[in-house]
Amino acid sequence: MIRTLDDVIKLAKEEGPKKLAVLVPDDPEFMLAIKKSWQNGYIEPVLIGDRGKMERVADKVEFDISHFEKIFEEDRQTIANLGAKMLFEGEVEIESKGQIPTSYIYRSIIREESKAGSGKKISVISLWEIPELDRFVAFTDTGVNIAPDYQAKVGVVKDAVFLFHLLGYSRPSVSVLSSRREIGGPSDSYRDAQLLKSVAASGDFGECEILEATSLSDIFLGQEGRLSSYSDINIKNLPEILLVPNLDTGNILCKTDFFLNVTRCSLVISSKGLVNIPSRADFSDSIMEQIAMCVVVADRMKGEISG
Amino acid sequence: MALNFAEILTDAQKRGRKRLVLAPAREERFIEVISEAVIASIVTPIFVGDGKVIEKLLKGTSISSGNYEIIDVPDYQKAVSTAINMIKENRGDILMQGAVPHQFFVDAIQDRENGLLRGSLTSFVSLFEMPQRDRLAMVTDSYVNNFPTLAEKKMIVENAVRLANVLGIRSPKIAALAAIEQVNPAIPSTLDAAVLSKMSGRKQFGDVTIEGPLDIDCAVSEMAAARKGVDSVVTGNVDIYLAPDIEAGYSLSQLFVFVSRMPMAGVLMGTSRPVILDMPFVSTDNKLTEVAMAVLLCDRGG
Repeated sequence: MIRTLDDVIKLAKEEGPKKLAVLVPDDPEFMLAIKKSWQNGYIEPVLIGDRGKMERVADKVEFDISHFEKIFEEDRQTIANLGAKMLFEGEVEIESKGQIPTSYIYRSIIREESKAGSGKKISVISLWEIPELDRFVAFTDTGVNIAPDYQAKVGVVKDAVFLFHLLGYSRPSVSVLSSRREIGGPSDSYRDAQLLKSVAASGDFGECEILEATSLSDIFLGQEGRLSSYSDINIKNLPEILLVPNLDTGNILCKTDFFLNVTRCSLVISSKGLVNIPSRADFSDSIMEQIAMCVVVADRMKGEISG
Repeated sequence: MALNFAEILTDAQKRGRKRLVLAPAREERFIEVISEAVIASIVTPIFVGDGKVIEKLLKGTSISSGNYEIIDVPDYQKAVSTAINMIKENRGDILMQGAVPHQFFVDAIQDRENGLLRGSLTSFVSLFEMPQRDRLAMVTDSYVNNFPTLAEKKMIVENAVRLANVLGIRSPKIAALAAIEQVNPAIPSTLDAAVLSKMSGRKQFGDVTIEGPLDIDCAVSEMAAARKGVDSVVTGNVDIYLAPDIEAGYSLSQLFVFVSRMPMAGVLMGTSRPVILDMPFVSTDNKLTEVAMAVLLCDRGG
């Protein structure tokens, strides 16, 4: 079972290099992450973006990109489309976002899934490494579905459970987060939690456990509990997977790592490979760790496709 | 300006004791909080509920030897309405929720005729001591409103600004949060955030700066914002995080409590007089801050 980023980094060295398409590497932090990932043997990059910007940034971080495959293109949607095509045609195993808004990438992946007739919906899984917790925790969907309905959430849970199985977690626990509380009336997200529980019971998600708890308060205190002291909080109560009710919530929660001593890795599992989704505000070490995570997951994904 | 919970308590101690009405008074844990508030010289308690039960609860506590009042109303629903009337008639200053279902209590507060509404909307502010920032920060609405409209978000902002002003934050900076920092017609929260931001630019909230939409990394980090091309006095210096909806507000507050372990006190705003809700995820240590905050709000309402 892969528990920490140290585990991931060790494995990425063994399992790399993987061919990775980088979309718009025209930010020094991104280029530096590519440089470090290449030096560490994780990846063999294919750089796609504006030639002038790419070369300037490579110079700035003292990275000789002359011997890598490069595709010069300025239009962002075309860049995203090229990356997705390479992923779906098996030319690269991983695609990574650079300094490009994610909407271009999602659009291109959705289009490729549709062309491939996979019927697969995509979602973003944001893994957290929390130092006091000797395993990963994930928020999902943190990037694609604005207001997912129950059907969309089924696909989101499947991908997350699939990812945890790949990482060696035999029975990940899932909490379907909801704003259901003592006031406010019925909640769609709570209704979805109940429906997802029945799907899990039928075995559609594979081995996993959907918890009764639908809020962090429920998770840490139980439904009738009260917080007497912060020293009573046991971080080990966090389930492996936190399914968020909507995009705003997911994105806000997963990026609170800015307040915390945690490291985040965000990725998309497409039917043909992985897409690394760092934030455009992340720094090189964090981006490099996210690349390493994708290398390890990509290696385990060979031949296995999430339902 | 109060920079932390200790300073809120110190400020409250300068105001003299306020009359705190607990309704219904029927559980020990409330008595413990009120004992602390009495010892801190910020309140004189009035207990509304079953008189015999209250006498029993007070026996042996520090309250029993000091000033207090018991209003004997055994029925818990009547106890709440009696307490609300007392506040309305100025026979009490602060209403504290006792052991009573939240929906019943909030409905009673929000009753347009008999409740304690200040305007037309109450909202909940989660007030945090943030270790990364040597001052207080708020998340709102984190409990009351489900999916507020733009007009309701405007009121939620006004409520939070009133609280900020009471805390001595004169020009509050507000991050209208959304999933992304760009305005995207497909993501309604980004539209609301952009409009609120524009309204603040036109000084429709007074001396307040709202920036939005902001994703949380831009809100928290000036450097992250710069890398995404967002230039604002708000980034990296947020006093109030405006949640796009209850799903985000409720979860974010709890994440700060349970995962970040940031001390939190809750404040109900939009009431004519201060009201303290009984939130399960506010730790016992921080309940005293809620009482102190209510004392500070006494001159301004909630």
